[in-house]
Formats: sequence, structure tokens, C-alpha cells
Amino acid sequence: MKDDLRRDPRKEWIARNRLHPDHQRVLAELGQLERGAASAEWLGPNGLTRRDPHAVGFIGPNGLKRIDRSGAQQAATASDTRQRGAAVDTRQSINIETPAFVVAVVPDMSGGRLSSQDRDVLGLARQLADADPARPGAVLAVLFGEHKEDSLGEAGIDRLLHLEGDEFAGYAPEARLAALMAVEREWAPRHWLLPDSALGGADLGRRLAARIGERPATGVWQLNVNESAATGNAGSSQGWQCLARGAAGTRDILRPLPRVVLALAECAEPVYETRHAARRVELSEALPETLGRITDMGAVAVDPAGVALAEAEFILSAGNGVKDWEGYHRAAEVLQATKGASRVAVDDGFMPRDRQVGATGTWVTARVYVAVGISGAIQHLQGIQNCDKVVAINFDGGCDMVKRADLAVLGDSSQILDALVALVERYRQQQQESRDAA
Amino acid sequence: MLDILLPILIFSALALAAIGALRRVRLWRQGRPSPVPIAKSLAAMPRRYLVDLHHVVARDKYISNTHVATAGGFVAAAVLMILVHGLGLGASEGLGGVLGWLLLVASACMFVGSLFVAKRRRPPPPRLSKGPWMRLPKSLMAFSLGVFVITLPSVGVLPADLGSWVLALVLAGIVAWGLAEMVFGMTWGGPMKHAFAGALHLAFHRRPERFSTQEGGPGRSTGLKALDLDDERAPLGVGAPRDFTWNQLLGFDACVQCGRCEAACPAFAAGQPLNPKKLIQDMVVGMVGGSDAHYAGSPYPAPEGGYKPVGEHGGDPHGPIVAHPFANGGTALVDAETLWSCTTCRACVEECPMMIEHVDAIVDMRRFLTLERGNTPNKGGEVLDNLIATDNPGGFDPGSRFNWAADQNLPLMADRQEADVLLWLGDGAFDMRNQRTLRALVKVLRAAEVDFAVLGNEERDSGDVARRLGDEATFQSLARRNIATLSRYRFTHIVTCDPHSFHVLKNEYGALGGHYSVFHHSTYIAELFDSGRLNLKAWKGGSVTYHDPCYLGRYNGEYEAPRRVLQALGIEVKEMARSGYRSRCCGGGGGAPITDVPGKRRIPDMRMEDVNETGAELVAVGCPQCTAMLEGVVNASAEVRDIAELVAEALNEDSAQDRASRRAQQSEEALVS
Amino acid sequence: MPHDANSQTSARAQPHGGGQPSVAVLISMGRHPLTGRARRADQDARAVEMALSLSDARPRLLHAGHFDQDSEAALRGYLGMGFDALELIEQESGADVIAALSDRLRETAPQLVLTGARAENGEGSGLLPYLLADALGWPIVTSLASIERIERGEATLLQALPRGQRRRLRVRLPAIVTVDSSAPAARQSAFGPARRGVFERVAHASVQDAAFAKWDVQPARKRPKRLKIVKATSARDRFKAAAAKAEGGGGQILADVTPEQGAEAIFKLLQEEGVLR
Repeated sequence: MKDDLRRDPRKEWIARNRLHPDHQRVLAELGQLERGAASAEWLGPNGLTRRDPHAVGFIGPNGLKRIDRSGAQQAATASDTRQRGAAVDTRQSINIETPAFVVAVVPDMSGGRLSSQDRDVLGLARQLADADPARPGAVLAVLFGEHKEDSLGEAGIDRLLHLEGDEFAGYAPEARLAALMAVEREWAPRHWLLPDSALGGADLGRRLAARIGERPATGVWQLNVNESAATGNAGSSQGWQCLARGAAGTRDILRPLPRVVLALAECAEPVYETRHAARRVELSEALPETLGRITDMGAVAVDPAGVALAEAEFILSAGNGVKDWEGYHRAAEVLQATKGASRVAVDDGFMPRDRQVGATGTWVTARVYVAVGISGAIQHLQGIQNCDKVVAINFDGGCDMVKRADLAVLGDSSQILDALVALVERYRQQQQESRDAA
Repeated sequence: MLDILLPILIFSALALAAIGALRRVRLWRQGRPSPVPIAKSLAAMPRRYLVDLHHVVARDKYISNTHVATAGGFVAAAVLMILVHGLGLGASEGLGGVLGWLLLVASACMFVGSLFVAKRRRPPPPRLSKGPWMRLPKSLMAFSLGVFVITLPSVGVLPADLGSWVLALVLAGIVAWGLAEMVFGMTWGGPMKHAFAGALHLAFHRRPERFSTQEGGPGRSTGLKALDLDDERAPLGVGAPRDFTWNQLLGFDACVQCGRCEAACPAFAAGQPLNPKKLIQDMVVGMVGGSDAHYAGSPYPAPEGGYKPVGEHGGDPHGPIVAHPFANGGTALVDAETLWSCTTCRACVEECPMMIEHVDAIVDMRRFLTLERGNTPNKGGEVLDNLIATDNPGGFDPGSRFNWAADQNLPLMADRQEADVLLWLGDGAFDMRNQRTLRALVKVLRAAEVDFAVLGNEERDSGDVARRLGDEATFQSLARRNIATLSRYRFTHIVTCDPHSFHVLKNEYGALGGHYSVFHHSTYIAELFDSGRLNLKAWKGGSVTYHDPCYLGRYNGEYEAPRRVLQALGIEVKEMARSGYRSRCCGGGGGAPITDVPGKRRIPDMRMEDVNETGAELVAVGCPQCTAMLEGVVNASAEVRDIAELVAEALNEDSAQDRASRRAQQSEEALVS
Repeated sequence: MPHDANSQTSARAQPHGGGQPSVAVLISMGRHPLTGRARRADQDARAVEMALSLSDARPRLLHAGHFDQDSEAALRGYLGMGFDALELIEQESGADVIAALSDRLRETAPQLVLTGARAENGEGSGLLPYLLADALGWPIVTSLASIERIERGEATLLQALPRGQRRRLRVRLPAIVTVDSSAPAARQSAFGPARRGVFERVAHASVQDAAFAKWDVQPARKRPKRLKIVKATSARDRFKAAAAKAEGGGGQILADVTPEQGAEAIFKLLQEEGVLR
């Protein structure tokens, strides 16, 4: 609509007539249309500066008009930002030719990309590598299998060992350990850093530590320089101390930094101010054949509805207000949400007892909790107090659940669920298509 | 001819009865020993029978009168018959004549009674057992009629050689039938067993205190018996019938299968698999050995509807009562879910005319399941673990117990060391709903200027839930630590708004060395009002009914004080049909919400229907459990409020100032004089 | 129909090839996270539960460590799950128990060793099973959800992945496996068997853990929440990011909207939170 060029003969006439009292205003208006930039000020017929408040500002991401008095974003239209984004990358490019030492990192690469914890661990590795500006170390990342990550250098990787092959696919800790042992022989890294994440670095890192006979620091969440030790031996690992979680997360252990470090998420800031070379390196000798005693037989299909409530991150919970149970169960299936229930729904026999949420049922810690037709008895609200986002679908706008909810939609729950199911199905289909296209 | 036959009949019946009695006593003695003073107990029996038992029976006037006529007639007739017909003292002149006439009167009286017994069973109400019990009225009639007729010649109304030998034989047959049922059957397991076992049960009752009339003495005993956990050989609860004490087994044998317990049991009404009458009969089956196939009353309800079939369960004195869960789905005497359905509300115990202790037996069996098998159902195990690790059933940080009162500025015992009243808050301190009640109670106490203090984070769960779930070890651990905490401070009374804590502190800590003067808040508020320390506005709301908490009412006999408080507010209580000692449980006692045995409906829903029937807009309660359970009812017509909340709302705000100025005045006057 | 990964009966139903597999469970003293009271360690107790769910295995319990009143209470908790005895290698306080355990396991040679992923006391690094596996030369598999069957010297296991997903693995025996919090919860510990159970003591010399004694161990501090990372280069943008309104506040209520609009709003929130997969 906006792009259609509509001509207004009267305004064009005024624009030509320099003596017309509205001449300046019309010029401003037309200029805005043509150049795509607002000119909200002009000199009025009486010599006063006129301002058009409607021409000021821009439409923000939420669809609201935002006015930025600094003027920086006044003309921020879509095309403009694209230009700016492409224009400059101010990040400093760093290339370490002859590293003094190597810090090895084995990121999880879950889903073929660097996870946020991987980036944090790489940030931690950079801290260790860059501690002495005169003798910088190199961060060596060891990657297994195919990956889709294209910002490896941006994440702080100097050297990249990319090991491909079927033997590393799935759960292959023995083959991966053999590869890490080859790295150990070839580069003898000063530090091994792995994310302490279940089934990822936590497993591999402990295997490595046990094999090379190093006592690792696990659950590390902070790194600092030991003042007393640093004076004598600056830059070397003797000066580093780490703070690690122990005893099932109930203790903090302060200890000198060992060679093998398993770090928690947010252990350090990820790298974002520098770009690194991520130069590929290869092992000089072929990996030895390993005797596989563990065989991965593939994933087992699990019904998301059956996931334990306490573990679930997305719960669709049903209460007394649900009349269309078929629709509810279908919605849970389509949304791939774990099913929950209020006490009443359980008492009435619509849901099994192990699905009951609340002080008398299960205390849940979901990221998103959708309460369908639950009025919100105090025991229920107590049970969901650790949920991040609560969505209420309810007929009664005055109930306690609506008051608690971050988003409440009032109306007929079965219709809303149906509409939601339709939306999600369409979304899934689009995703499928785009995946097929790619 | 009858002269010869009758003594033979009478004495052989008596002899057989004596043999049966010995056999029965041997059955009872399979149980564990429990020493009793025999002579003293037997001497106490008539009073217990005539006063305590009759007090319960008399709640049903019809059956009470019937029983007086039948039982009184029978006892008199039996004794006189032995004298007249057995020993031949029936000569028509002198004393014998009088005896004969008396026997006629007694048997006639019994006959009239037995007519009413028969009438009650046409048709029998569902709570009564059928089977052999259906023939009992006929047997009673046979006995009384037979004795009446054979006595007529003795007193000379009819000629001694009346009729032929055929008639004599017929009469002898009728008398023999009557004797068989009444004398032989009494000790060989017939319906009349209740008279024999019942009499001895009254004498050797496991809880003789319960018959005490002494005020302030042992009084009504309702506490559970503590287990001796220091003795490693002492059994932990009851796993087989022989693990009961002998007088418990005797008590089970006394059951008359009247089904009053069944009619009162909330779990049975809710369709949960419990029927107290059947449970007691199952214990008798276990004691004797065999299966429950001969049981003729209502069986256990099945959760999916209808009843569990009879005849599939059985056992013996040494076998398990509850089948082991890993024993391939087999059955034993009862299913575990039967034992876990009980809310320990004691409605059955209150109703039982034979003074049987159902709830204690159930908890004894639960103790075995929890302490030996580790098999507390559903959330039971988790709750017990929480109690062990955090001293509260919810698993909350014990250091946050007092967080609710951050804005209340409550005096702590740890700071004060002494106070007149120790306010026991209970585990409701973790529950947001109950915190409202606690705030209200604090407000009331402050208005009455009560010198009180709380334990704060030093308080622990009282141990009630652990004990009802059978975890005696955790109960005793909690109780001992609570007693140790309480012993550090000086106070006159404990006041609490939780009847469960109230009961446990008052009646169950004694066995572990803690003796306190404990008040439920309703009692204490009533006393405050009576002594003029509370100035209350009149009630302006709608109609109100009151729900008696089991642990306040039936357990501790406090029915009056809450009603007095409501009266003081100007409320006229619209009583429910089931109120006072017949109050129906809310379903929240005995860990029932934790073990959560499915039924056809929920107990609190039924209780709320009772409330609805009165048309009351508000139901006043005095228990956090009752509040939680009744508020959990969906679409209830009545609001649920604790008595403390009602009183707090009705406080005259200026009353405190009034009193302060009055006191100032008084002190001035004192100065002047 | 996909295999039901949550079922526990599968292990019981399977006939075993080579007689009774001998199973040992390594147990440690737990610590309640809120009160710090001694208890069964949660993951170790789940390991015991998993061992008990194997039908004809007769699992043995093994503990090495300092023995005092607290640890006795905790260990009796395991006995209460239905054991007559447990093997106790008594060690001095602060001892490193790797040598004691690996020697004992080499001696008794069980087919399968189960244990929790990490201890609730001490360093709790979760390294012990790896060190034992390395010392014994056995394979190790972690994060078990259940054991499906044991036959012909191999165990078929289900490994727990995040979000309730499962992966099937086969491992050559003897092996060490660890159990984490997604395995079935441990059964209740009963007072009677816990009180009756006996400790079968096995002697082994203690080796002090010298390194651990030197470290500074404190109760865990609350970790600071990470501030939003600001990638901006100008001061103005950094200020804007810092001054941005915090999320949350009052909830949004959509009344009088069509079901489609309501669903749209919910859909948007689900997408923002990334729970739609």
C-alpha cells in the first residue's frame, strides 16, 4: 500500500508555488515520500519553525512508534540497517603464527553447532591462552563429525582439528578418547578444557583425565589469578586458581588450576571482540584402530507426554475447565508438551495421579507452563512457582491463575487450543519444507 | 421323660460350651502376651457392660430396648433353667415355685425381645450381616418359647404328664436347638460368640483407661500404644495375626457384626476398599485360619465399582496379613490398600458397641508395612523421607519455617525463655492458606493481651503423620527432639490451631516423657472470651455451620468450646446431620491424602454435601487439614473459614486501647488510695 | 509402536543366558541438600534400585570410607531397601578410596558394577567410576536410565539423554555403569531391615588424599547471574542495553479476542521461549 505512488495534484501545485503559505510543509511532506527519510521540520509562513510530530520517530520492533531524541535511529529503515551491518566488522583479526603453548578445547557441538556453553569454555580458553601478551598460546579445538558451524574463528579458535569418520558418530567415547590421546601425544596441550555437560564433555573429559592420569577440576565456574603464586611465576598455570562446584553442587572448592578442566556454563564471557584464524591442522599419524566395547544401537523413541513432570521443560496442564479432553490430548501431542493436571482433573479420573502438579503433587520447574482451564488453587500455584513463563487459557478472567500468568487468554479453551494446534501444525509444515528445500 | 432329657441336654450343652471356651481361649492366646490384672478386670466388667457399653448401644433406642429384653431375659432364663430344669429345683411348692415363675417371666421377656430382633431383620438393613445372623432371631425364639413351654408344667399350670412322648420329643428338640445356638454356639463360633468374647473383651480391654470416669485422670485414652524400639527382638507392628496381643484378638472375636462402623466409615461411603466390620472379621479369619468365604456382610468396595469378591482372601495365625508385593500378585488376609484407606477418624471406634479398637489395629498393621516392608504407598515414602531429612512433610528448608511471620514480630522462645503460652504453629506454617489462620490467631492473642511466644525455626513436625503412616521410628525421633526443645523453656500452656499437633502433644508425648497442658485454639479463645478478655462485634454474615475435626472431637471430646466461640460471635450454628461425635471426617486424617487410595468419590466432597444440606453459607472449621480438604472441593456453595479467622474479624479494634486506658485508670486509683 | 523406554518390566521378563550375573553396587554416604543430614545418596540409591530390578541378580553392596555415626545412619538407609548385609571397607577420614575399591572389585570380580554419577560429599567430581574403570580396564557407560537385559556377557542398556530422550547401548561385560537422576527413584528404606542388617568388614590400608586436604572448601555461593552480553560498540548503545526495562512485570491479559488471536499470542511466546521443536 505504502509503496504505491499516489499523486496529489494540489500538493504538487503548492510545491511549485513558493508563495503559498503551506509551501514549506508540503515540500517537507513530499520530500519524505521520495527520499524515504523524514524531514519533520520546516519554516512556517510566519517565520516560525513548524514540526510535524507524526513524521518523527520510527516503528519499533513491537509495532509501537519509538522516538529517539538523539537522532541516531531516526532514519533506521530496513534497507539502511542492512547496509550498515554489512559495511564494517570492527572486530580485530588475530592470527597467532607461533604459539608458545596450546590450550585444547573439545566443544560438545550438540546439533552440529557451538552451544553457548561451548562458547563460554572457548572464552575461558582464551583467558588462559592470552594471559601473557608477550607469549600467546593457541586455542586448539578438536571437533568430531560433521558440523554446520561457520563462526568458529569468531568464537576464539586459532587451530582446528576436525576429525571426521563413522567411528566418531553417535556415542563413541572410546574412539574419541583415542583421538584425544593422539592430540595429547602430538601437541601436549598445557590445558585441556571441556564443557562439564552431561554426556558431552563431562563424560569424555573424565575419561581423558583418568587415562592421562591427571586429576581434573570439575564443575569449574570461575577462574582467577592467585596473587601470591602469580608473583613468582606469572603467566604459567601455577598462577591460576579455579573455583569449582563439588559435593553435588553444595560446596565451592578453591584449588590451583590443573591440566584438565571441566567447566560449567557461564564460566567465562564468550569471545566477541576478536576474530581468530581457525586454521585447520591435521594429526601427523593415523589414529590406531580401537577395540569398541560399547556399541551405540541408536535412539529410542520416547513419548514426550510420558516424561517425568519434574524434568519437563514445557508442560500443558489441564484442569476442571477442560471439557474437550480429546482436543487437549491432541494439543499436547502436537505441541510435544508434557502433560500435567490439576488435582481436580486427577480426582475426577481424567488424568493419572502421577501427572498432578502442585504442592500435593509434583513441584515443576518448566520453562513454559500452559494452564488450560485451571483456576489456580493456592496449592497449585505453589507447585508452579518455579516456572519461568506461565500461560493461562481460561474462561474466567478473575481467577488466580490469570493473575499469576505472564500471558492470559480468556475464552473457550477448546477453541483456543484448536487454533493453536492449527498454527503449530502450519509452522511444523513450513519448517519441514524449508528443511527439504535445503 | 423331659425330666430325664432336660438335665442331659443342659449339662451336655454346658460341657460342650466349656470345651469350646477352652479352645477359643487357646486361639486368643496365640497372640502376644499382654499382662492384665485378672480379678480386677473381671470385677470391672459388669460396670463396663451396664454403663459404658449400654451408653453406646442406647444411641439406637430400638435395639437398646430389644437388647435389654433379649439379653436380660436370656441371662436370667439360662441361670434359672439350670437351677429349675438342670438341678431339678423346679418343685411347684416353696422356692422352686417362685423360680419356675421367674423363669416363665424371663423367657417370656426374652421371647418378646426376640420378636423385635426378628422385626429388625425384615428386611435387614444393608449394614447388618446375613448368613448365620439371619437364623439368630429364630433360635432366640426357639430357646425362649421352648423354655417357656417346658416350664409350664413345673409351675403346675399344665399337668406334668402333658401330651405324649412325641410332644415331649418335639419340645426337647426345640430346646436343644435353642441350647445349641445359645450355649454351644457361644463358644464354637456362632453368632452368640459375641456375648462370651464380648464380656471377656470388656474385662480385659487393651485400653482400660477408656472406661475411666475420672476427670483429669487418664480419662478417654485415644493415643496409640508406643512401640519399644530399643528392644531389637520386639516385632515392629503386626505382620501376622499372632503378632497382635491376645486381648486384641479377643476384641476382634467380640464383633457382633452390627455394621455400625460400616455405616459411619467415611472411606466405605466413598467407595474406598475399606469396611471396618469386614476388616475385623478378616482378623478373626486369620486368627482361626481359613478363608473369608463365610463372611455374610458387605464386602470391601472395589474402586472400579461394586464390591471385591468374597472368598479369595484367607490366611492363618502365622501367615502374612498382607501379601508380599513381589509374591506374584497373591492375596493374603487383606489387601494393603484396605489398610491405607483409613483416615484414622475413629468414627468406627466411637460407634462400636463392643468397644473394638479398629484404628489401633490398622495402625499396628501399617507399622509392619512401613517399618518392615518399606511399603508406604504413593507419596508416603517421600513424605517420610522428608520428615527424616527436613522435619516437615513437605521437604521444605527447616530454616524457612518461620519465614511467613517476617512481618509479625512474634516473640521467640529462644529470646524470651519463658511465656505464659507457647504457641505451637504446626506444619501449616509452610502452607499459604494456613498462614492466614495463623495471622488471625496471632491477632486474637494480641487483642487479648496474652503473654505468648513461639518456637520459630526450632519447631518440628509433631510426628502425627509419621505415626499414622506407621513410621513409629520417625515419630519417636521427632517427638523426642520436640520434647527436648520444649524442656528448655518455661511455659504454662501450649496453644495450637492444629488438632493433630494438639492430640499428639497432649496424649501421645506422655509415653515418651513429655507432659504438657495443651489447648486447642478454640478452647483457649472460648476461655479468653469467658474471662472477658475479648471484645467481639456481632456476626453480620450469613448462616454458619460447624465441622468437628476428628482429632478435636472424637479423639479429645471437645465439642462444646468451638460452638461456644461461635455463639459468642452471635452465630447460631446450623448443625449438620452428622455432627458432634458423629461428625464425618474431611478425609485429611491418617495420611489419607498422602497414601491416596482411589475410591468412587472423595470424602471431602461428601462432607461438603453435608454442609450444603444445612444451607449454610459458611462452614467454620478448626483444623488446617479440614480447611485444606474442604477448600479443595470444587464448586462448593459454602466458604471455609477457621474459627480464629472469624474471631479476628469480629474483634473490636478499639478494645485494646479501652483496656489500656482502663488499666491506667486503675493504677492511678491505686496510687491515690 | 516405539519401544516404551520408561518400562522397567523388560529387564525382569528377559531370560538370562548365563545364570546369575553377579552385580555389585558402590554406595556412598549422601547429604541432604537443604539440611546437610546424612542420608542415602540419591543417585547411589537409584543404582541400588536398578540392581534390585534385575530379576535373578543378587546384588551386593560395597562401601569404602570413614565409618562413624553419620555414615552408619546413611549406610543403614541402603540396608533398609532389603539387604541383609553390606561390605564395608573401613578407611580413615579423608582417605582416597580408589585403591581399596579397585582391589576389592578385582578380588570379587563382579560382572556389572553400578553406582551413582557423583558423590554428595567431599570433592564429588564424579571421577571415581572412571578411575576404577581405568584401573580395572573395564568399559564404563554413564547416565543410565535402565538396564534392558544381560545375556551372553553383554548388557543392553538405555542411556538417558536430555529432555527425556533415550539411547540404546550394548556394552561388553564386565563393565561399570553409572546412574543419574532420570533413573527410577529408589524404593523406600524400611526401618526393620535397616536396623538388622550387618556390616561385613573388609580390611584395606588407607591412602590419604593429600591434595584435597590442601584445597579450600566452602559452602557453595550463589552464582552471579550473567548480565546480558552487549555486543555494541558505542557508549550510547551500551547505555541503552543497560537501561533496558527488565522482563516480566504484570502479565498480559487478552480478553475479547478471537481464539485465533489468542492462539497467535501463545504461539509467539512458545517460539520466543524456544520450546517448540
